[in-house]
Amino acid sequence: MIRSLLHTSLALLITLSAGFAQTLISGNVMDEKGEAIPGANVSLKDTYDGASTGIDGGFRFSTQEKGKHILLVTFIGYKNYEEVLELASTALTINIVLKESINQLEAVTITAGAFTASDESRRTVFKALDIATTAGATADIAGALNTLPGTQKVGESGRLFVRGGEGNETRTFIDGLVVLDAYGPAAPDTPSRGRFLPFMFKGTSFSTGGYSAEYGQALSSALVLDSKDKQEATRTDLGILSVGGDVAHTQVWDRASLAGKIQYTNIRPYYGLINQEIDWVKPFVSLEGSSAYRKEIGKHGMLKAYGNFSSSALGLRQVNIENPAQTQVLSLDNDYAYANTFYKDQLSEKWAIRGGLSYTYLNNDAVLDGNQADEKEEGLHAKTVVEGSLSDRVEVKAGAEVITRSYEQVFRSSIFPLERTLAFTESITALFTEGDIYASNAFVTRVGVRAEHNSLLNEVSVDPRISFGYKLNNEGQFSLAYGTFRQSPKNDWLKLNTNLGQERAQHYIANYQFIDNNRTFRIETYYKAYRQLIKFTPGQPALSNNGGNGYARGFELFWRDRESLKRVDYWISYSYLDTKRNYLDYAASVMPSFASAHNFSVVYKHFISKWKMQLGATYSYSSPRPYHNPNEDAFMNSRTPAYHDLSINISYLPKPHVIVYASCTNILGRDNIFGYEYAATPDASGVFSGRAIRQPARNFLFLGVFITLSKDKGMSQLPSL
Amino acid sequence: MKKLTIIPLVIAVLMLLAKLALATDRYTEVMQKNIEEVYRAKTVEEFQSLANTFHRIAEAEKTKWEAFYYEAYTYVMMANAEVDAVKKDVMLDASLKALENAKNLQPGESEIVALEGFVHMMRVTVDPASRGQQYSGMAFQSFNKAVAMNPENPRALALLAQMEFGTAQFFGSSTTDACATASKAVEKFENQKPTSLLSPMWGKNMAQALNNKCQ
Repeated sequence: MIRSLLHTSLALLITLSAGFAQTLISGNVMDEKGEAIPGANVSLKDTYDGASTGIDGGFRFSTQEKGKHILLVTFIGYKNYEEVLELASTALTINIVLKESINQLEAVTITAGAFTASDESRRTVFKALDIATTAGATADIAGALNTLPGTQKVGESGRLFVRGGEGNETRTFIDGLVVLDAYGPAAPDTPSRGRFLPFMFKGTSFSTGGYSAEYGQALSSALVLDSKDKQEATRTDLGILSVGGDVAHTQVWDRASLAGKIQYTNIRPYYGLINQEIDWVKPFVSLEGSSAYRKEIGKHGMLKAYGNFSSSALGLRQVNIENPAQTQVLSLDNDYAYANTFYKDQLSEKWAIRGGLSYTYLNNDAVLDGNQADEKEEGLHAKTVVEGSLSDRVEVKAGAEVITRSYEQVFRSSIFPLERTLAFTESITALFTEGDIYASNAFVTRVGVRAEHNSLLNEVSVDPRISFGYKLNNEGQFSLAYGTFRQSPKNDWLKLNTNLGQERAQHYIANYQFIDNNRTFRIETYYKAYRQLIKFTPGQPALSNNGGNGYARGFELFWRDRESLKRVDYWISYSYLDTKRNYLDYAASVMPSFASAHNFSVVYKHFISKWKMQLGATYSYSSPRPYHNPNEDAFMNSRTPAYHDLSINISYLPKPHVIVYASCTNILGRDNIFGYEYAATPDASGVFSGRAIRQPARNFLFLGVFITLSKDKGMSQLPSL
Repeated sequence: MKKLTIIPLVIAVLMLLAKLALATDRYTEVMQKNIEEVYRAKTVEEFQSLANTFHRIAEAEKTKWEAFYYEAYTYVMMANAEVDAVKKDVMLDASLKALENAKNLQPGESEIVALEGFVHMMRVTVDPASRGQQYSGMAFQSFNKAVAMNPENPRALALLAQMEFGTAQFFGSSTTDACATASKAVEKFENQKPTSLLSPMWGKNMAQALNNKCQ
């Protein structure tokens, strides 16, 4: 009996411990090229059992599980692998091939024409902070981007002139929404500053050609600014500047933040100290304010609202070029408001939606010797984009937008009781779609198309865009881009004649980029054809047509190194430009006055931690620019002297929350001449009298102290400088 | 006789119970073993293997925050051992993902928030010039939040002290505040009472080293 009992017990024991019998699973994990993947996670789903692959991609583990189980293999950068196993104590050998997943980190990007500045992405050439700390730029976005290849220095404008294009051919977009006038007002022939401060943005994408079908109404370049998300810390910032002051406050809640800033600028005290080329009647005064609200909605939703207003005035006296004995008084009052709301959300795991509405209001009252010109422009832009993945190899986006703007200029003469109004309203409706097709992580094709209807010019158009990116290895990649672009003629011509077509450009770009940790090398070459440019007989702009044309071609080099020298960051840009146009009232196809063949700049930044200082210097060179001297027979045959500028800046951080900043442009004191202007009629001796267009002052000296008050120690305004 | 027939049944039941008990306790046991290994690990490979193990446990258990927490901790240590900047970021991304899972299982856990701050602190080291500002702010915030959630959390204090010390050193300002936080951290380490067998215990050496610098 006892024996039988023992038997039963034993039998039970055996059945129970049979559960402990092990199955050995081994094998190896390779990629599609047959190379071992070390560190992959091999597991039996819903159990603890599994192993990591070794250097050779091999794994081995045993399990007590029985029956059907799923073997799961995962590794970052690869698609998950699943296989059903039948476990029954016999050893299993499984060889697994993981397919690479297309992911933004590893995948090729299209770099033709594109300079992206972002703090988040790792493979960027330019960081948002770079804009703030570039000497000579005085924290102006355009100023900093002017040190990159593809731009031509046009000192009297301050705008971005890209690859033989005029300043208005570069359009600014904030969160995808167009800004009608991105630059503040300035006296004639003095540089204007951008209206938007760099610290507002987490990403800046500056494209010098071949950009996405999402962006229209830009012939040469798109500057796409991506505003910051919800702020993380409540803080107050104070700035005391040599030309005014500002106060900013950011309030943070759990899921929202609100920031506001008021800035007052008055150049009078500064001009009292530093001799100016300009005879000011009323030096530039402005009051600016901006406010940004951010709210997180649901799990992935984000609402952004941004508003900005500015009111400024200036007045100056200048010698009448037609009659040097006379002086004229010019005054300029400018009111500006911009509001933008933006919403983005996730529709599903693979699809997202974003969209918004922007409104621009601009009022410019100019008075020249009692003659008044009041200019008013209002614009509304509505846009929605849906984007997502069709598969892991195809990403698409599609969107629709409407841009409506109305322009009015009222001119009142001081002599005649004459009032003339010029006005137009333009409405552009556009549809666009674009797809990124990845053949692998190394090869991508982007195909896009943009269709537009312009109500004013009664034009329907379709513009194709296509680009390719090919990654040679971890560091180097090639890109090609082609596209057609169009833009409505400038307000100056459109207000006189609406019986016009849009101006057009075609871009062809080839680019090679090499990024190795902290060193970047880029070379890019391009050809750009202009068609349908505005053309008219001299003195007859109201009878304009689209008979103008032109081209631009050239190559550009860029080198940046943050590695070789300790605590030093520097970059060098060189652009060669060959361009000619026959447009406006030009007598022949020539190089336009804003173009220069050679542009070169070096930006140097040195951090000295012992002194808690950052020193910066920027040297820029532009080869001579053409201008037309009516005293000569040939058209546009004269050349200005070359442009040289050496600017320096110093940031000093005596305490974590205090920054002292000083900068000075043109420390060599060079008298740069941007061009010449001439009287319309010759004087008694038959000579057209002329004068040089110079810098408003040899140097611009800027001093500022920035103080941050915050509960969290160690926070300063460095990014806002 | 009848009594005797019960014996095998009793044995069987006992064994079954033992097996069940083993299963419930297996989590703690396996975790403890791997946690010890993490504290000893040095190389990227070792950390990767341990992160994988914690991930497997977390996925199998589904409701245990500690497994995700230690996965995240392992990735931070792994990022610390890695030289390549891009790879470091990948590891820190993986760490945040695990912390997100931990947070969903155990909202309001001070340890998770403190570790999140550690991830931000590690981000700074990848590119101090352009990231310092943003991420050191975020790190400070997380550490302060973690201390507010549990003033007894010595790791939150030690990390906060580390951050304060680094900032003070960078600006050449007084380290008094940082050192006060460091000595408080050491004191809390002396008195830390683990709430479970899997409570985080790391960070004491870091706090002591900083405290010694302060002396």
